[in-house]
Parts: sequence; structure tokens; C-alpha cells
Amino acid sequence: MRMVIVALVAFVILAVLPLGVSGYILGLLTLAYYFGVFAMSWDLLFGFAGEVNFGPTFLIGLGAYGAGLLNSEAGWPVAACIAGGTALAVVGGLLLALPALRLRGPYFGLVTLVAVLLLTQAITIGSKWTGGEIGLSLPDVLSIDDATNYWIALVFMGVAGTLLFLLSRSPVGLILQACGQDPVEAAALGFNVSKHKLAAFCVSALFSGMSGAMLVFYFGTVSPGTVIDIAVGVQVIIATVLGGRRTIVGAAIGAIFLIVAGEVLRPLGQMSTFVVSGVALAVILFFPDGLLGYVLHRRGRTV
Amino acid sequence: MTLALQILIDGFAISALYGLGAVGFTLMFGVSGVLNLAHGGTMLVAAVVAWLVADRAGAYGGAAAGVAAGFACAFVTYFAIVKPIQRSRAIPAEEKEIFVLTGTLLWGIMIQEAVAYFTTTSPHTVRPLIEGIVTLAAGVRTPTNEILTAVICWSAIGALWLLINRTRTGKALLAASINPRGLVLLGYELSNIYLLVWAIYGVLAGVAGVLLGAFLGVSSDNAGTLTASAFSIVVLGGLGSVSGSLIAAYAVGYLETLTAYLIDPSLRTIPSLLLLVAVVYVRPQGLLGRR
Amino acid sequence: MKAMLLASVACLTLSVAAQAADPIKIGVISENSAISGIAIPNGAQIAAEEINAKGGVDGRMIELVLYDDHNSAADAVRAFQRLANQDKVVAVIASYTSEVALALQPWAGRLKMPFITPGAASDELGKRIHANYDTLKYAFHGYLASAFLAQSVCDAAKDLLVDKLRMKTAVIFSEDAAWTTPLDAGYEACLPKIGIQVLDHIRVNPDTTDFTPIYNRIEAKKPDVMITGISHVGVQPTVQWARQQVPIPMFGISSQATSSTFWKDTNGQAEGVVLQLVATNTIATTPKTIPFAEAYFKKFGVTPAYTGYTTYDELHIIVDAIRRAGSTDPDKIVAAMETTDWQGTIGRMRFSGKDDVFTHALIYGKDDVSGLVVQWRDGKQVPVWPLNLPGVQPMAFPSFIKLNATN
Repeated sequence: MRMVIVALVAFVILAVLPLGVSGYILGLLTLAYYFGVFAMSWDLLFGFAGEVNFGPTFLIGLGAYGAGLLNSEAGWPVAACIAGGTALAVVGGLLLALPALRLRGPYFGLVTLVAVLLLTQAITIGSKWTGGEIGLSLPDVLSIDDATNYWIALVFMGVAGTLLFLLSRSPVGLILQACGQDPVEAAALGFNVSKHKLAAFCVSALFSGMSGAMLVFYFGTVSPGTVIDIAVGVQVIIATVLGGRRTIVGAAIGAIFLIVAGEVLRPLGQMSTFVVSGVALAVILFFPDGLLGYVLHRRGRTV
Repeated sequence: MTLALQILIDGFAISALYGLGAVGFTLMFGVSGVLNLAHGGTMLVAAVVAWLVADRAGAYGGAAAGVAAGFACAFVTYFAIVKPIQRSRAIPAEEKEIFVLTGTLLWGIMIQEAVAYFTTTSPHTVRPLIEGIVTLAAGVRTPTNEILTAVICWSAIGALWLLINRTRTGKALLAASINPRGLVLLGYELSNIYLLVWAIYGVLAGVAGVLLGAFLGVSSDNAGTLTASAFSIVVLGGLGSVSGSLIAAYAVGYLETLTAYLIDPSLRTIPSLLLLVAVVYVRPQGLLGRR
Repeated sequence: MKAMLLASVACLTLSVAAQAADPIKIGVISENSAISGIAIPNGAQIAAEEINAKGGVDGRMIELVLYDDHNSAADAVRAFQRLANQDKVVAVIASYTSEVALALQPWAGRLKMPFITPGAASDELGKRIHANYDTLKYAFHGYLASAFLAQSVCDAAKDLLVDKLRMKTAVIFSEDAAWTTPLDAGYEACLPKIGIQVLDHIRVNPDTTDFTPIYNRIEAKKPDVMITGISHVGVQPTVQWARQQVPIPMFGISSQATSSTFWKDTNGQAEGVVLQLVATNTIATTPKTIPFAEAYFKKFGVTPAYTGYTTYDELHIIVDAIRRAGSTDPDKIVAAMETTDWQGTIGRMRFSGKDDVFTHALIYGKDDVSGLVVQWRDGKQVPVWPLNLPGVQPMAFPSFIKLNATN
């Protein structure tokens, strides 16, 4: 209950930010919110279903390029493109997960990584339509106004976060957690482990893909460097672990922290990535429960 | 005929190099259960140090410094990151693997950025130990250093084989990879075993890094790809199996070379990626995997 | 009475001083961990120091705001937005990568920020400004478009390879990137016109590390020369070319090879590589060229990559435009920049107009920016073309190169 109130207060504060804060900072936070959804989707899979997805950008990339291509090639309106991109991400996620979830441990991770590599190659080979490394410039964007973009992203993150959080706390979420932590036990109790994990993967794909699609219409461009590169995937993973795995909300906090930290450290120039990675590493070593996890455990578990 | 011989030789050299990198990686996993995602970074450090030092100490001095740097980097990885995570009480046992993965991943990124900062992202080439060209039958030319690379790789692998199969310490390593508990019961100190495997890993990664730097040149941008490719080869061969990694390294090396020569150099990595996917679905434990 | 006079004098002085202290901020975005990237902020610094030493612009000093974009379009866009919205710069100098510059163009339009790219060669840069002049007029392309680069290489090839060495065949060897598509098209059009037949055209993935199969393929065709178009790769193909003793000379564009860092990175195996560039530290393309190169070397310990020269010139051009416009208003700066006629280190710099195919691009020509061709010999860039350049020498190749022509 306490957490809900804190979350609501935080949401209200964030919502009124545009009234006093510069357009540039709003832009930064907008990006952070979309990243937050990436991270929260990842946490559902990792923290609950116990599967390390090394290639979250496979799902993000499918959503992003799906939406982007529908807009630039077929001229669909923005909302339809986002829906299309999301659908593509879910289908892609299903195709990947059906066979992949049969694999244990590092093999699953490897296959997700290979999926990203294959998607990158596909983009390069199909560069006539996808624009290859340069990427695509889209005719439509969500909005040119900073504040509007900010609110769209904030609301999206709020809704996605709420849904994911509720899912994680629901009976389905508990079953998922059981499947993740001890699949043998869970199966013995009569739960269909693979079906639950597959469902989790699809939910993760849905939100990642949708967020990817919306991000693309925020930027007005889509390129491998922004949505597919392994570096982006690594950032998603770091954000979740940093924020606190298995909390959903922690992932969003981690994402915001990462992006803001990257910005604050900008004057360091080249070394900013080094320092951010260093900080993340320190958190992992000394506060393995992540920022939120640490805070929660200090106060004693509040469910 | 010329083409076939060229493919044979180039494939052999690059596969030997892949093999050396993969063997260290798989040994690390087999014996201590660690997937070191800073592998590419370690090789990078070795190559860059070799390049830097060669200016003053000549090719041989540079190479020696490079191997030492790889060795040092491996130990830093162990003591600063892997060991604290393995020992940590705050992390539940079944999640330790994930944390080691993430921790080594972050460490690898830090290495990459540091190298880029000090030496730019431009690739650096290590001075070859032997300059010059060897002209073989049918007019096929190969840099002498390429042949030396294959020789060194196989010598290192041979030395490793001797170590594991003919010495007591080596057999302890093997035992640790099969049944650590049993080994402890027999009175061995696991921590010493781990130290040894990190030491061996450091030397192997260092040598592989220096040789790669001389053969192709290495840039800080490559670090991630190096890790990914070692990871793929090791999974293909079977996590934990040294001979499996070698076979897989040759399979991948030749697949890549054949694709680059006969089909298109830009499609080089695709067949091996597809092979990897196929193997992971059909036989997830890899060609010779045990676990 | 005296007090009031003193007070008003003090106020006047203070306000004048306050105005004089108000710097003119110019943003610089570049990839600082790349050879061609770091030369951008470096070149800008030297120019800014020069201008400030002479009193700035009407007493206002030039202040540079530097950002590293890690060669990522997303990072560059964020930096650009920050420069415009937070740092409030009056102009931006950004990137040497076509992909990044293309991503920044629409933002220059949206944010009405004058912006120039001191490198990058994609024809698209100028073409898009031409197609969308009203929105994109704030963007300028401060380097030669690929079409001109190809022409420059062909002009040199005619004199050096065809007339002197009687070469007849070539293989085009370029990286797969935005700037090489028009470059290669240019090569394929102009090489046959000078009598060189193109036997094959190889585009390599910029992520390639092993060039052996590629060189084998090139060698199998037995061309007289390899015409190059490489920028993101450079060290590895060059070193492997030398190590494998590929008997075919390299001639064309190799951006990394423009800096002395390249010689060190390749352990001297750049020997014999022939490349086109816009300026080098040993030839006085204009009276400003060598003094700049020397100042750069003195400050940074290496010779500038090509982007160092262009950035140095372009910072001067921006400041000159501000002076002539008498204002830092973006539209006025743009109007002034359009009438630029500046003697830079690389030649006479003028921009093409809105009716030209490439708008706001550097004009190429013998009396404008024409470039020159040099060859790496013994750690130095020796000029080999144009033939009437003082200090020009004939080409000489390492012993493993086999020149097929009767020579």
C-alpha cells in the first residue's frame, strides 16, 4: 500500500514537470520513460520467469522497424503503425520463444543473442527498404511539442508499468515466479511451465514492441544503432539489474537513473560510458538487489 | 587448385585462432562455471599492450608484454568481480551465474571504453614476430606469421592437453569440471584450482589476443564481437568440452572462410550463425557437450 | 554631481564590459575516439584561439561547447538538441559520418540552427538541402560530395595511372556505407572515360576484420590497380594488404590515412598507399595550410586528419559570416554563409546555391577546392598530383607491388 502511494505521488510530480522544466530535460526523460518500459518488460521475463533474454532488442527492433516500415512504405497512420509494429514483435517473440524456451540456462540467452544478430543482418541485407545502417526517416512523428511527447511517454510508462506490476502480483505472476525459480517444483504442482513462460515472453514482447514503435515516432527516425544494437540491449539489462530485479518498478527507476546519469556525466565525454558501467558494476557487487531492492529491504518487506 | 589451397590455409589459421580463444573460454566454464563476458576485452588488452610496447621493446618484447597484460587482466576479472560475486551472501545461489554474467559484461564494457579513450577506436596491429611471405605450391602466398600463428596456437593447445592429461594438477582440473564436490572430499582446495584455471585462461587469452592483433588487427569496437564469437563456438562444441570447442572452431572457421571466398565476404558470418541456431535447437548440449 | 557622473560612467563601463564578456558559443559534436573525429574539436580549438587572440568578434570571445557523439546518430541528435536548447549556441559543427549528418539535418531545420559538417561525403547531404531548401537551408555540407571526390580521383588517375603507367584495368574496393554509393557510381562512370576498365566492384562490410578473401578475389581478377573508397576501415585492410604482399597498388580515398596517427597504427605498413585529400602538412595549398598544420602538430603531437583542416576553416567561415551579418540571428547567419568566399587551408571555399544539384556544398574546381593526391613514403605524405604542384614527386611503390604496364 505504501508503495502505491509513493508511486502515485511520484507520478503526479513527474506529470507537472513540464510546467517548469526545459524542453531538453523533458526530451531526456521522454527517452528514459520509453526505456523504462523496455526494462520493465525485461524484468517480467527475467525477474519472474527466470529467463535471461540477452536480446531484448530483437523484440524492440521488430516493433520499431515494423512500425517504421509501415509508415514509410505503406503510409499508414501513426496509431495503425504502432499496432502493426507491436503485432510483429509479438509474432516474432512467439516464433523465437516456442523453440527457445525448451533450452535451459545459457543456451536460451545465446539464442536470443543470435536472434538480434540475425535481425541486424536482415536489416543490412534489406537495406533498400530498411535504409540499412543509415536507418529510415519517417514522415510522421507523434508530436513536435516537447511537453506533449513527454506526457504521452509518461502516460504510456504509467499504464504499461501498472499493467506489468499488477500482472506480477497476480496469481499468474506468482505462478510465473514459481516457474522461474523452481520449474521442477512448479511442474510437480501441476502448472504448465512452458505455457506460462511463453505467455510471459509474449507479454514482454507486446510491451517492448509497443514501446519500440512509439519511440520511433518520437524520434522520427529508426536505425539499428538506436533500437537493435547489442549496446542498447545491454543498457536495458543494466537498467533492470541496477534498479532492482523482480520489482518491475525498479526497472523503470533503473532506466531513468541510467539515462539521467549518462546525461549528467556528459562533460566527461568519452569516459561517460566507462563511469556509468563502473557505477552499475559497483551496484551489482555491493547492492545486488539494486536501488529499489535495497530501499525495500531496508524498510522491511512491504508487499 | 590455387583457390582450394588458399582456402585451406587461411581457414586453418583463422580456425586455430578461434580455437585458442574458445578453449580458454570453455575451460573457464567447465572448471569454474564462469562465462566470462569480458573475454573479448581481455584479448583486446593483450593486443593493445603488445602494440604499445613493441615500439620500445621490439616485436618479441611487445608480444611478451601483451601476454602478461592478458594474464593480469584475467586476474583482475577474477579477484575484483567474479570472486566477490561468488562469495557474496546477498545473492542467492541460483542467481550467481546471472550476476557473474552481468558483472563480467559491465567489466568488458569498461575495458573497451578505457582502451578507446587511451588509444582511439582505430584498430591496432601487433608487429608480427616473423616478417615476410612464404610462397607455397600453386603460387599461394601466405604471410610467414600466419603459419607461425597456427603453430603457436596448436603448441599452446598441445601444452594444455599435456597439462590436463599428464600432470596431477591437470587431472585435478579435469576432475573439478566433472565433480567439484568429489574433488573437495579428496582433500583438494577448490580455490587453488580456480586460481590455476584463471591463470591458464589468462595466458591463453593473452596469447590469442596478441596473435589476433598480429593477424588481423584489433580495435576496441571488436571486443563484443570477439566475446560473442567465442561464446558461439563454445556452445556449438559443447560447453565445457575442450575438444568440442576445437572441432567447432574449425567448423566455424572453415564455414566463414568458404563463405567469404566462394559466396560473398559480407555474408561471412551468416552460415555459422545459422549452424549455431540449428545445433542449439536440435542438440542443445553441443557436439561434444557433457552437461 | 561628480558622484553621479562617476556612477553613470561606471554603469556604462559595466554594461559595455558585460556585453563584451558575453561570449559567442559554437557547438562541436564529434566522435572523439576516432582519428578523423578527434581532429574536429582540435581544429576548432585552434581556430577559436586564433580568433580570440585577435579580440574575438567585436570584443565577444568565441566559446566552444564540445560533445562526443560516439558516432551514434541518436547521441548526436541529443547533443544537437542540448546545444540548441540548453547551451544556446549560435551554430554547430558536427560529425564526419554521413549517416549522422543526415540524421542531424532535419533537426537543424526544426530548431533553426545553422549547422555544418566538416567531413562526410554522401551526395544526399547536398541533395536533401536542395530538395527541401526552405526547411533545411540551415544545413551546410563542408566537404566535397562523393561525386566530386570520384572526379578528383579520376582526374589524378588519368595523369598518374593512365598517362604515366599505362594502366588499363581496375577493381573498385570500397566500404558499404552511405557515402560510397555515389562515390562508386562516380568511379564507374569516370574511369572508363579515362581508359580504365572496371573489372569488378567490391563493397565490404565496415565490420570486416579479415580482408584476405577479398584481396584474393581482387588478385584473381588481375587488375592493374585497386581504386579505393574507405573511411571507417583503413588500418586493417592496409596492414593486411602489406602483410600479404598483394601485388596491386592502392589508389583513391582512404580517410584514416590522412593523419600521421595512421602511420603509427599500421606500424608503417601504409608505405606506398596513394590517397586523395584536401590538404596535407607539407604542401602550401594556400598560405594558411602549413601554418595551421604546424600549429596543430605543436599542440597535439600528430598531423591533422582531413577533418582538422576543414573544421578550422569552417569555424573561421562561421565567424566571418557572423561578422558580415552583424548579428547571430540564424537566418542572417545562413544568408551570410551563402555568400562565403573564404580562403581556407584547403583552397577557396564557396558554397553552391539553391538552384544547384547539391545545395550548400563546397564547390569543387581547380580554383576552388580541388584536393591533391599524396603517397605515404617513409612516414611522410609525399605529394604526387597535381603534376604542376611544387614539390611533386613521381610515385614509388614497395617491392611487392607488380606494376603490369610496360613502364
